[in-house]
Amino acid sequence: MQKKWILLGIAFFLISSLGLVPLAQGVDFSGETIKWIIPFGVGGGSDVWARLYAPFFQKYLPGKPTVAVQNMPGGGSITGGNYFHTRVKADGLTAFGSSGSTSFPYLLGVSQVKYDFAKYHIVFASPTGGVAYIKPEFGVKSPKDLKGFKEKLAYASQGATSLDLIPLLSFEMLGLDVKAVFGYKGRGPGRVAFEQGETNIDYQTTTAFTKNVRPLIDQGLAVPLMTWGILDDKGNVVRDPVEPEFPCFPEAYEMVYGKKPSGSAWKAWKAFFVAGFGVQKAMWLPEKTSPEIVEAYRSAAAEIVADPEFQKMVKKSLGGYPQLVGQEARQAFNEVLSVPLESKQWVLKWLKERFDVTVK
Amino acid sequence: MDAALKSLGVIFDPSHFLMLILGVLVGLSIGILPGLGGIVGMSILLPIIYGMDPHTAFALLIGMVAVIPTSDTFPSVMMGIPGSSASQATIMDGYPLAKKGEAARALGAAFTVSLMGGLFGAAVLSVIVPIARPIVLAFGSPELFMLALLGLSMVGVLSGKRPIKGVLAAGIGLMIGALGDAPAVPEYRYTFGIDYLMDGIPLVIVGLGLFAFPEIVDLLIKGKAISEVATLGKGWLDGVKDALRHKFIILRCSMIGVIVGFLPGLGGSVVDWIAYGHVIQTTRDRENFGKGDIRGVIAPESANNAKEGGGLIPTLLFGIPGSGSMAVFLGGLLILGIQPGPAMVTENVDLLYTAIWSLALANVFGAGLCIFLSKPITRLTVIPFTYLAPFMILIITLASYQASRGWGDLIALLVMGILGWVMKQYGWPRPAALIGYVLSDNIETYLFISVQRYGLTWITRRGVIILALIIIASLVMGAFWQHKKAPRTGEDYAE
Repeated sequence: MQKKWILLGIAFFLISSLGLVPLAQGVDFSGETIKWIIPFGVGGGSDVWARLYAPFFQKYLPGKPTVAVQNMPGGGSITGGNYFHTRVKADGLTAFGSSGSTSFPYLLGVSQVKYDFAKYHIVFASPTGGVAYIKPEFGVKSPKDLKGFKEKLAYASQGATSLDLIPLLSFEMLGLDVKAVFGYKGRGPGRVAFEQGETNIDYQTTTAFTKNVRPLIDQGLAVPLMTWGILDDKGNVVRDPVEPEFPCFPEAYEMVYGKKPSGSAWKAWKAFFVAGFGVQKAMWLPEKTSPEIVEAYRSAAAEIVADPEFQKMVKKSLGGYPQLVGQEARQAFNEVLSVPLESKQWVLKWLKERFDVTVK
Repeated sequence: MDAALKSLGVIFDPSHFLMLILGVLVGLSIGILPGLGGIVGMSILLPIIYGMDPHTAFALLIGMVAVIPTSDTFPSVMMGIPGSSASQATIMDGYPLAKKGEAARALGAAFTVSLMGGLFGAAVLSVIVPIARPIVLAFGSPELFMLALLGLSMVGVLSGKRPIKGVLAAGIGLMIGALGDAPAVPEYRYTFGIDYLMDGIPLVIVGLGLFAFPEIVDLLIKGKAISEVATLGKGWLDGVKDALRHKFIILRCSMIGVIVGFLPGLGGSVVDWIAYGHVIQTTRDRENFGKGDIRGVIAPESANNAKEGGGLIPTLLFGIPGSGSMAVFLGGLLILGIQPGPAMVTENVDLLYTAIWSLALANVFGAGLCIFLSKPITRLTVIPFTYLAPFMILIITLASYQASRGWGDLIALLVMGILGWVMKQYGWPRPAALIGYVLSDNIETYLFISVQRYGLTWITRRGVIILALIIIASLVMGAFWQHKKAPRTGEDYAE
């Protein structure tokens, strides 16, 4: 799996460097400073992601410019997104880094959102994965045992419109009676709540899962259920390459119902899954950026992904998922942009009925 | 033990050692600048740790964060301006001492106890790690709610003779804390369509507005120097002696510091107030608090340095940060490719010891350098304030602007400053308002979670009942000893 992606990356790099060199030649960032706006605070997941990438862009962008991460936290990333939309010049000297928390309000149609991903140029995207697990006392060993499962469960959540929408929707689609307890400040406190017994079903990103939940599983304090999965190059949700021994959500669904998931709920699940996990973080350039500049960025990203030093770091710090570059990223993000209106409305209705949350 | 000695060797390796010193110097500078704290320090250092080996990066980051609560005492004592959120309570008695010309004494005592508190924190960190997990896990949301209430109960003792005003001021603080996004539901409160208010008013601005702004205004009105006597009195050696005389206060407050740091979610910004409230509560001769009682400096200063040792525990073991600066440190760990978790005590135990040694050594260097610097710096208190004021105004404006880098920061500083000045004029206890503000998010979040999860049965949990008894005892103790004293004259220690 990994190899295939790397090869694809290299292939992409070769093609782009052969075919597009004349185009990219006009672009030179020598002596310039490129600002990369991250709409979150220092030390958060998106900030770390950008800071890991920044030195590599410095190395591979034409002219070796300085790449500075600029944090612009506020309004759950809406402030930074709006700033990018309204105030940034399309000269290639300012880029934007979005996260699932930026895409969700966009998908849900939150009124403060002014940014519009349909207009921007995506440079690359980074997926991430999640693993759900449950307390052992229910005797559940795999998703099969969830068929007809009637126990009341509790899940520690940051909020129904946060990335938790995916776990909550997954539990709902599997027919579980899960009470969402809101107010936890993140997945870390959520995991501690699970360990304390305050909740009894939880999920972690795969990196946190490996370090923090694996030991619990070994001690018999947690049972792994499923991963959310990962998007393959045909747009299907397949097994997570980092935790391949667990079924992914569509498989778990099939184990419970004996058929593949379909319908409005599934369409909504997939759209939000792609926005929240499949292409969780992405780098963007403004609407009017010239094709040469966009191409310069995309080829730099392709070179970065092929850099062995970068690959080592991806494994260590970004969960080891294949990074999507240029058209690949565009194609994956299309899943987010082309969400049918009825799926959006389905989610809004579900949020209202299930959690009494109205999106304004 | 082997790992401990090996890590000590690593720390004294020249390249690591230089990084530790660099971290200490950055930390001291940030501490001295009012309003800037660990979050800013971490944000400055984070970009440069990329590609470092984890031991070196630990020496740098922990060296920095360890000494902020040491040097942030300078502005708190000498100008009545909080050097960082960890030294707000130090103002209460440190600043009156400076007015009496005893700034050097207050600083000497503060640095001595900072050192001891810091070493205590490092020592606790080294022994408690194996048993830390069950303790952290014993505190669920209902218990954390009760702890926040315990913090809030300090308002009583900090408001002295004006309990009603104290409670109302705390209420104002809670309301300021409620502005912006609600902690548990996707709603924004009292934002009036202003984007700036969506995230609430930042702590730096509330702290500087309530404490620094009114002080600058009043000093300018008086037009004199900070020190009311022309010659500087007792020196820093007297302060050291004061500190040694009160070793039990240091011990108790260091323990408070470690516990508050250790429990995730309570937040480091109340530790100084809890320690300060505690020392008043447990002291019979209280009439000098607020007028320059050296114990009022010793208590918060020993607690705030001890806190950093405690704060590393949930960060490294659970990946849940106990304070804002620890949240950024956590990001740093990820940049280094380290996932915090139980493995920190097994496969990464050498890193843990590097953290402990860095913490201990940084405290020694930090306190030493501060004592060395205190003599020339205390001279500032005899300069007429009109010369200092422009500089101070510039600094607090810059520090506020650092919060979210928008115009809103400056407007919010002005509004908070006017509120603080009015409160000061009319004798409303500002510490009470600040405590309310700092705890409002915790109180709301944990109560909300407790009720959602357990209905009303959370009240019957054993931990909740024990904490309730402690709160009652602390309130009774505070009230009882207060009544036994003859009515005080002059200014209250609250203001």
